[in-house]
Amino acid sequence: MIDMIETPETLSLPSYREQEPRVAERFAKLRQRPVILDVQALEKRFTTADGETVVALDRVSFQAHRREFLCVIGPSGCGKSTLARLVAGLEPCSGGRVLLDGKPVDGPGSDRGMVFQGYTLFPWLTVLKNVMFGLEVSQGMSTSSAEQEARQWLDLVGLSKFAASYPHELSGGMKQRVAIARALANRPRILLMDEPFGALDAQTRAQMQSYLLQIWREVDITIVFITHDLDEAVYLADRILILDAHPGRVRELMEVAVPRPRHPTQFLSPTFVAARRHLEELIHPPVEVATEALPLRRMTVVGDDVE
Amino acid sequence: MSSSASSSWFRPLAGLSPTRARRLWALSFILPIALWCVVSYVPFVWHPMLRVSDAGDLDWVTVGELAPRADVERDNRALVAKGGHPAVGTPANPPFLPAPHEVARALVTGFTTPPFRADEPWLHQSLWHSVTVIFWGFLISSVVGVPLGILCGALPAMARLTEPFIEFFRYLPAPAFGALAVAVLGIEDAPKIAIIVIGTFFQQVLVIANTTRRIDPALLEAAQTLGASPRHLLWRVVVPGVITEVYTDMRVLLGWAWTYLIVAELIGVSSGITFFINQQAKYRAYDRVFASIIVIGLVGLFTDLVLASLGRQLFPWLRTSKRGWLSQALARRGRAARAAEAVAAKEAARA
Repeated sequence: MIDMIETPETLSLPSYREQEPRVAERFAKLRQRPVILDVQALEKRFTTADGETVVALDRVSFQAHRREFLCVIGPSGCGKSTLARLVAGLEPCSGGRVLLDGKPVDGPGSDRGMVFQGYTLFPWLTVLKNVMFGLEVSQGMSTSSAEQEARQWLDLVGLSKFAASYPHELSGGMKQRVAIARALANRPRILLMDEPFGALDAQTRAQMQSYLLQIWREVDITIVFITHDLDEAVYLADRILILDAHPGRVRELMEVAVPRPRHPTQFLSPTFVAARRHLEELIHPPVEVATEALPLRRMTVVGDDVE
Repeated sequence: MSSSASSSWFRPLAGLSPTRARRLWALSFILPIALWCVVSYVPFVWHPMLRVSDAGDLDWVTVGELAPRADVERDNRALVAKGGHPAVGTPANPPFLPAPHEVARALVTGFTTPPFRADEPWLHQSLWHSVTVIFWGFLISSVVGVPLGILCGALPAMARLTEPFIEFFRYLPAPAFGALAVAVLGIEDAPKIAIIVIGTFFQQVLVIANTTRRIDPALLEAAQTLGASPRHLLWRVVVPGVITEVYTDMRVLLGWAWTYLIVAELIGVSSGITFFINQQAKYRAYDRVFASIIVIGLVGLFTDLVLASLGRQLFPWLRTSKRGWLSQALARRGRAARAAEAVAAKEAARA
C-alpha cells in the first residue's frame, strides 16, 4: 500500500476533523445507536521476572456502538493485543471492567467472537466442521442443523466449494475467511480481530479488507479490529482508537471522515490522506532522525555508480 | 545428477527425492549385512579358528574339529622344525557367529523344523506366546496410561498430584519387581505381563503428558471464544489436537515394551521367544539363535510399518493426497457394488 505519500508542506489538506454533511449525519446516527461494548478504566499490570511491575494498559476507556467498525491502533508495546484479549476474557484484568450490553464480562464466551493473526483453525476438522464447532459446543445444535447453518456461513465467505477440505489445503487468506465464518456463525455481539491480516501478503490483505467490509455490511455485527497498519485502519474504520505506549493509554478516539462505502480509490483522496497523516503524527511523531554517515570505503570500481 | 543435487547430501535438513530416500532405506539394511558377509566369507578377515581336515602329526586335534588357529600354527611350526607333518584345515569363525547363508537357511527352516525335544514349543508357538504377552502388557498399560497421561498434560492439578510419584517410580528397574510379581501372580504369564506393564506404564504417562502439554494454546483460546466449556476443551480440542503425536509416542513405547519382554520371559517359568533362544543356545544351534533374534526384529519392523500406514488412514488431515488406501479400498468396493447393482437392474429390465 502507500507508505510514503508525496504531500509537500505546501499542499493544502483539509483538517482530519472536517466532515462532509453526509458523513457527519452518519456519525450522528451512529452515536444514537445503543452502546454494545463499554470498556471502563481497564487496567493490566504484570510483574516481570526481575520483580518490576509493568503497566500494559492504564485506565483505558471507550465505547463501541452497535454495528460500528472500530479500529485500535498504536505503536508496538501499546497493549493493543492485550486489550483485545482482555475484552475476549482470555486474560484477567488488573482493574476496571468490560461491559457487553451493560453486563460485566467474566471469562471468554461465545458472545465475543475472535479472529487471531495465527489462523487457529482446528487442523483435524474439515472446513465445514470447523465452522460447525461453535454451533455445536455453545448453541448445542444438532449435527444436521449445525451443518445447514455452517454451509450458509461458508457461502457467505465464498468457500462452499472447500467445505470438505482440511485447513492445511487452504491458502492463508482462505483460512482467515474460514476463521471469520467460524466466529460469525456463533452470532456473537462483537467480533474482535487481532491483526487478522498481518501475516498475509499485500494483495491478499487488500482482498480480505474488501471481503470484510462486504461481510460487515450484510451482518449485524460490531467489529473491534486491532492493527498496526495505518492505511488499513483508515480504510476500514468508522472510528479509530489510538493508544500510546508504555504505559498503554488512550491518546484519542478519532472519527474517520472518509465517506462510505469505501473503495481502494479513496486511498489518494484528501480526506483519506489527512486522516492518515494525523495518525502518522500521533504514532510516529516527526523527530529529527540523524543519520550518521557509515564508515564505508568504496568497494566498487570507479564509474560504477548507482546514484 | 546435477551438482546442486549432489551437494545437497551435506546441506543440513536438505530434502531427499523419493528415489534417493528408498535407496538409502535399502542401503541401511544392506550395509550391515554386507559387513557380516565380509567377516563370514573373506577367509583372511578375522576367522580365528581352523576347521581341521587333516590332523597330521599334531596330537591334540582331530579331523573336523574347530581349533584355535593361532595355537595350531604355533605347534605346526614346531612340528615342521622337527620334520613332522603339520595339521591342515580351512580358516573358520567361532560357532557363535554363523554365516549369513546359515542363518538364512535357519530362518526359512525355522518354522518347519520340529523342536529338538517333543515337549518344547516350535518357533512360531514361542513367538506367538511372546506376542500375546506383549499385547496384554501394552494394552493394560495403555488403557490406564494414555488417559492419565492426557489428563496430566491437560490439567496442571492432575500433573502435580501424580507426576512426582511417577517420576520416582520410573527409576525403579522393572525387573527388580520380578520376585514380587511371581509371589503375587504365580509363575505363568501374569507376572510377565505385570513386568511389561511396570516397565511401560510410568514412562508412558510422562511421555504422553509432555506431548499433551505441547498443544498449541491458541487452539484452546480460539475454542474458548467459540463458547467451549472445559469439558469441550478436553474432549474436542485437547484429545484430537494431540492424538497424532500420542500415536507416534505409542509406536516408540511399543518398542520399549519389547525390551522388557526379554527380561519378563525369564521370570517364573521361562517362556516365549526368550525360552526358545536359550534352548537353541544350549544345543549350540547358533544359526537358529540368530534367526530368532532376526524374527523379533522383523516382527517389530513390520508392526511399526503397519502402524505408520494405519496412522495415515486414521488421521486424514495429515495426508497431502486426497485419499489413503483404506478409503480407496472402500470406494472401490462401493463402485463394484454399484456396478453389480446396475448390471442386475439391466438384467431385470431385460427380463
